[in-house]
Order: sequence, then C-alpha cells, then structure tokens
Amino acid sequence: MTEELNLIWVEGQDCAGCTISLKQASNPTLIEVITGAIPGLDGLKLVYHPTLMFEWGEDASKVLVDAMDGKYDPFVLILEGAIPDETRAGNGVYCAIGEYEGRILKLNEVIDALSKRCAAAVAVGTCASYGGVVHGEPNPTGAKGLRDYLGEGWKGGLGLPLVCIPGCPPRPDNIVQALGHAVLAARGLAPPPALDELNRPDYLNTATAHEMCPICGYYSEGVDAHKFGETGCLGALGCKGIITHCNASKTWNDGYGGCTNTGAPCFGCADPNFPDPPVSPFFAKAPVTPFVTETLKGTLGHVKMGLERFKGRTI
Amino acid sequence: MMKEITIEPVTRIEGHLGIHATIDTESRRVKNAHAAGAMFRGLEIILRGREPSEAVLITQRACGVCPVPHAVASVIAVDQTYQASPPPMAVVIRNLVHGAEQLYDAEVGVINLEGPDYSEHAVKSFNPDWWDEAARTRAERSDIHGFRTIADIMRALNPMEGELYLRSLLVQKAGHNMAAIFGAKHPHVHSFVPGGVAKANLSPSDIESYLTLLMHHVAFTKELVTATDDLLDFVLAQGYDEVGKRPVNLASGGAFDDPDAYSAVYGEMTEWGRRRMVSPGMILNGELVTTDLLEINVGVREYTGSGWYSDDWEEEFKTDPAGKRISREHPWNKRTEPMPAEYGRWDDAYTWVTSPRWWNWKGDGRDHVIEVGPLARMWVTAKAGLVPASTGNSIRFELPEALVPGFKYSEAMEVEWKIPEWPNAVERVRARAYYHAYTAHCMLEMATRMLELMKAGKTGVWNEYKKPDEGIGYGVTEAMRGMVSHWCVMKHGVIHNYQYQAPTTWNASGRDADGRPGPYEEAIIDTPITEVGAPDGWKGIDIVRVVRSFDPCLGCAVHVYVGDKKKEHELLPFALPIK
Repeated sequence: MTEELNLIWVEGQDCAGCTISLKQASNPTLIEVITGAIPGLDGLKLVYHPTLMFEWGEDASKVLVDAMDGKYDPFVLILEGAIPDETRAGNGVYCAIGEYEGRILKLNEVIDALSKRCAAAVAVGTCASYGGVVHGEPNPTGAKGLRDYLGEGWKGGLGLPLVCIPGCPPRPDNIVQALGHAVLAARGLAPPPALDELNRPDYLNTATAHEMCPICGYYSEGVDAHKFGETGCLGALGCKGIITHCNASKTWNDGYGGCTNTGAPCFGCADPNFPDPPVSPFFAKAPVTPFVTETLKGTLGHVKMGLERFKGRTI
Repeated sequence: MMKEITIEPVTRIEGHLGIHATIDTESRRVKNAHAAGAMFRGLEIILRGREPSEAVLITQRACGVCPVPHAVASVIAVDQTYQASPPPMAVVIRNLVHGAEQLYDAEVGVINLEGPDYSEHAVKSFNPDWWDEAARTRAERSDIHGFRTIADIMRALNPMEGELYLRSLLVQKAGHNMAAIFGAKHPHVHSFVPGGVAKANLSPSDIESYLTLLMHHVAFTKELVTATDDLLDFVLAQGYDEVGKRPVNLASGGAFDDPDAYSAVYGEMTEWGRRRMVSPGMILNGELVTTDLLEINVGVREYTGSGWYSDDWEEEFKTDPAGKRISREHPWNKRTEPMPAEYGRWDDAYTWVTSPRWWNWKGDGRDHVIEVGPLARMWVTAKAGLVPASTGNSIRFELPEALVPGFKYSEAMEVEWKIPEWPNAVERVRARAYYHAYTAHCMLEMATRMLELMKAGKTGVWNEYKKPDEGIGYGVTEAMRGMVSHWCVMKHGVIHNYQYQAPTTWNASGRDADGRPGPYEEAIIDTPITEVGAPDGWKGIDIVRVVRSFDPCLGCAVHVYVGDKKKEHELLPFALPIK
C-alpha cells in the first residue's frame, strides 16, 4: 500500500454542487477511491469534508485546528467555493466554517494557515478557482477564487502550483481525474500536470467547448438553430462554446447529457469571468471577434484540408 | 444544571450551520436553542439588472444539492413574467428532470447524510443500550431488504463502508444521469428556458434511457422504504417519538405539473396547482386550510427576524395581480440589505437566515411558523384527496415488478405511507424515504405521458414569445427539503426585484419580531436527550439527529439583494430591445 496521504476538503462560499458532481464520477468512482481500490490512489484519507464526514461540531473543527498545527501532514488542500473579503463584514462574518474553544473559525484564516502547510492545493469548481457565481457583479462580499487569493506564483510544499478545475460544477470525471493526478504527482508517481496560464490542466481545458462540440459540424455548414429544440448550431441562441474552455459539450457523465449535445447552449460556466461578460448575458450571442477568427481559420482550414485530400497517400 | 452546547459546524448537510443549545441535565431536555446560518454570498444582488431568463440559471447556484427545484420555480416565475406558456412536452421534460433529482436526493439524504446518525458506529458510541436490543430484534421486512436484524441495518449504514451507504452512493448516480438526459448536466441543469426547454433531437430513445435508469430506482426504493421502516420503528420504540417534535403547521407548494393544465398565467395557478401530482396546501394546527396556490402566495411574509439585515424598504405593491391584498413583507415588496454583525449574540441578530412566516389572512389573521419538507408535502397530499394515491389519511400506490440485477426484490409492491401522530425527527426521515418511492411512481407515469405526446405528434419543446417590457411572476414547487418559491418583478425588460425563499429559509429561520423560534429551533427545544455518558462529554447526537431530519440546505437559505445595476444587452432576435 502506498504511504498515507490526507485530503482536507474545505467548503467556502459554495453550494456543495462540486461535491455532488464528484459523487457521480465513474472513472474512477468515489467509492473506488474511498475504499482504496485503485493502486496509486490507495491510502488516501479524507480527514475533513463537511458534507461527508461523520463528526460534527467541535470534533469536526478540531480536525482543522490540528491540521493547522501539522498533525495531518502531509495533506492535499482542496477548496470548494469562493473566499470572501472579511474586512467588508466589519465585526460580522461572511463565512464561518467552524468554532473551536469558543472562537469562530473563519474560512480565510483556515485557508491562510493550511495553504502554508499543504503538500499541494486543488481548487474545485469555478468559484474556488476564480470566484465564480459568487464574484458576479457587483461582488457584494468581495469574493475571490484561490488563484487570486494565493497569488499567481503560489506553490505548495512539494513545489506544485495550484491546480484549478473550473466548471459549475466541473464534470464528475474531471474532478476525480484531476484530483487523482494531483495526488499521483504529490506522491512522485506521475509527472506534475501540465497547466495553462489559468492553472487549468491542459488535458481538460485546452480545447474550447466549440472545438469539442458534437454538433460543431452545423457551424461549418452554416446551419443555425433559431428556436430551442431545433437542430443546428446554437450560436444564435447564445452559445458561448466558442470562448469557453470546457469539455462538457459532448457528454456530462457516463455518456449522458452534455450541454450542446442535449440542445442547451453553453453558458460559459467554466469561464473565469462567469457569470459576467463576455459569457453573459447568457442568451445573447457571444462576442463577434472569436467568430471572425474562427471563420478565417475555418475557411483556410477547409482549403488546406481539401488540398490535403487531393494529395497522394504518404504513409 | 444547565449545559450549553455549540455545534458549529453541523456536518452532513449542505452549507454552513451552527446550533447553540442549552440543555437541562437533570430533566435531560433541551431548554433553549438557536440556529445560525453562517455563510453569505449575496446571489440575488447579481440578479438585478439582468435578463429574468438568467435567473433560471443563476438561482440554481444557490444549491448544488437541489438546483432543479430552483430552476422549476424560477422558470415558472419567468414564464409568467414573460407571459410565455410552454408546450405540454416541455412541462413533461421539466417534470422528468425534477423527479430525477428528487430520486438521487432522497437516497443521499436518508442513507448518506442522515443514515450515519443511526449507524452501528453512532449507536455504539451514543446509545450503546440500543445496540444489544437491535442485535436481538429481527427485521420484520427482511424478505424484501435482506437484513436479518436491526443491527444489520445499522451496520449497513456505517459511513464509507456499510453496504447501504455504498450502494446508495452507487444508485444515486442514476438520478444525475437521468437529469442529464434532458437537462444537459446535473447539478445545475442548462436546458430550462422561459417558454419551454432547450432539448434538441427528442426521440423515444431518450425516454428509454431514462426508464432504464428509473427502474434501478424502482428496484432500490423497495429496499429503501422497508429498511427505513424497520430501522425507524425500532428507534421509535426506544422512546424517540418526542425527539424533534413540533406542532402540525406544514406547507407544500406541490410538484410535477399536469402538462395539459399548466400555463404561464398567474390567475390560473389555483386550477393547475391542484392538478399537480404532489398537492399544494397549508396545514395549520393539523387542519388543511387551503390547497390554493394563490391563497398561499398572498399569505407569505418574509421578516428580517433575527437576520443580519436591514428591514427598511418601501411597499411597492399593495395587491397581487389578482387584486388580493398582500403585506409589506411579501417578497414582491421585500428588499434586504446585509448588516453583518458579531457572531454568537443570541439575544440579538444571530443568523444570515431571515424569518418567513405565513399570514393566515382568510382565517385568524395571525402569522404562523411553518415547516416544509417531504413530511409536509406527503401530509398535505394524503389529506387533500386531489390525486389518485391520496386516501385522506395516507398515500397508497403500487410499484411495478422490476427484475434488475444487483437489487434484492423484484416483485410488484404496494406502498402505503400513513400520516403520523405528529412531526418528529424519525417521521421526517421516514417521509423522505417514502417520497423516494412516490417520486418513482410519478415518474413512471410521466414517462408514459411523454410517449403519448410523441404518438400524438406533440413534440414541440419551446414556444416562441414576445418579451414584454414589464412583468411579474410567482413560481413555486417542492425541493427535496420542502417548498421553494421564486418571485420576479421585471421593469424596462430587466430584473427590478428578484426574491427566492428556499425550504431552509422557512425551516432554519430564527426568532421573529415576536420572539417565536423557527422550526429547527422549535423542534430542538424540549427534545429529550438520550445520549449516554457524563453531560460534559455530550456531543449533541439527539440535536443533530433533529436538525438533519430536516435535511438542511443553508446555501439556499441565505440570501440578499441590494444595489442597482444597468447593463447593455445584446439581445436574442425574438426579444424586444431594452429601453
């Protein structure tokens, strides 16, 4: 069995939707992870997760306090939900996550302490990554994602940068696989995940929802849907797939659903700007520029691909 | 001697909740209790100035556990605001997505969130005297669920390892997948739009996929209700009937619309509300006083209560669109501004949750503290006699034969849920399990309705509409944890005022201006303490069992709406320009 590694999953200004998404994951399932059935991902202990853990009250808060004191080293810090600016709450509190020996544990204090000790940190969902729906204009609580909160150059104890898994929520398998990858990297069993400039794993978020779209052929052919339920590209109905880096357009989980696959436009919930422009207004067309670029690229692409097809076989 | 106990956080719920209670260690009864919502996001702030249709997507983010009921209530409110009635197929699809979510949510609630409180692990720690008795007690319905004794059921509920715990985690996946078939994804479905749904290429294969997964739930629910019954009957026999007891003041918004009756017309809500498969209604002191959604709406009042909010706002509407007088505290009038203050001042403001109350405007003219949830809606549906399964004091229906590999019982089964003597912790959990069975029954019928509509060629999923400049709407339905209501006021084509009340806004509410506790607080106060050991070491198991019996969802409950915002909108071709 691989050496034990603790997972501390903290919920901030969240809706538990990422946890609910994680529970649907199939490759692997949450059950296979918690029962230690997968080599390399065994020996994981979920020592703190407010929606799943047995303990409550001071027993639960004590886990966080002990973790701040190093009792659960090494651990991976996982955040779901955004972090408010408590200075705006005066002597009140926007996000209390526990109480220990008569003192309130504020989310930001816990994150400050745990981010100094953790082996690695993972932000699950758009809120934890970039602020998400909580930081929507006019951002009443001054909410931030972990990336802004810790600063761009932040690195965990093992030298790994923050891993962001955006999506509202992210696809179930995205969460469990990116988390699994972070764990393998933290244990030195796999290379660290290649991340883009927004700390997203390349293999999940390089392509846009448009590039991954199962019906993007309609775009090439110029077939637009003008009514919900109609067959065709959903761009005229507000689809933001062309600017959103996300792999949920073709399927959600186990081959079911998928945004554009079902006929629902992409609303850009995995975009760092969600729920503000350019992904909103949700039912308004996406900005024109990416379409112009796409058309130019597409036209040249069609010519190139056409010519390629006339060439002789080269392999 | 009085013992003070603070439970912060209450885990295995959605959101951030703290309970502060005082227990008399002599009489072993809770003397006083306060419930505090400890997290605030301000979702409604960002709604103002946006397209009302965006509320359908944004308000789902209130809760990742129960987003679809928010989507349903919101889309009904916006249907009315836009005067955009959907075609019948869209109503069926909304119902199917809604039902799919209820199925996963009930299992997770009963087994994974509340179950561990009755597991071997908990019982041996907190009620060890129950354990020997449980090991001796044969489970009455073991031919269906397969567990020989009550102790076997308790062992199956052990977190992260028990058989029921793990199987529930596996089966609940089917609920999300069913929702994704028509909702694109779950949580936070993306296909609900005013005037219908965004579902392309609808075909009978969609409903076949849905039914395949539904039958897993049909098979599982037979085990779920019988195992839950056996376990809870045992717990009741240990003297648990007064734990979490409170008066019979209950409300239901009703759920699962009749595709032939639903419309976007506020004035027609009385009629189509009564044709829902789960009935709407208000029960005061055990008496069903109304099943009329319009009457329920008129009586809603949301006080700031003990919340960290200002109650300074203008009365904008004197009546509802039908001309009935509404109060200054009605959500169409209500505004909320946050006023954060120190945590833990129990004699002052102490929570982010407001205090909704129901004004019995046709009766005694007084405000009432109302509980919502599966127990409330089952109670209302059983009493109302508006659906075939309702007998006046029970809900009775049959689940079909289903031979699904991996499940223990394949025969057809008659299910009957009976109205209990009073609401308490045990009956809330039991009602949640039975609601799982009733939802499966309703969705089987809804699947048939979809095929009938397909045969009749009524496959349209969306009606084009011309968006007006001004509008008002009220949408209501049932989330797993109770009645959820949304109110929308549109001016100049954008949201002028948007308010929502989640079930937990009702249940977790704090003291109102008259000092009356909210439902959690009422249910905890006077609860007997069964926990063993010296009072100094009490963890409050009885209190958390009471709180979890309501299946709290604090992310939903806490909300606010301030500020003003104007945006330039690039509009859809079918929408009118904003002035």
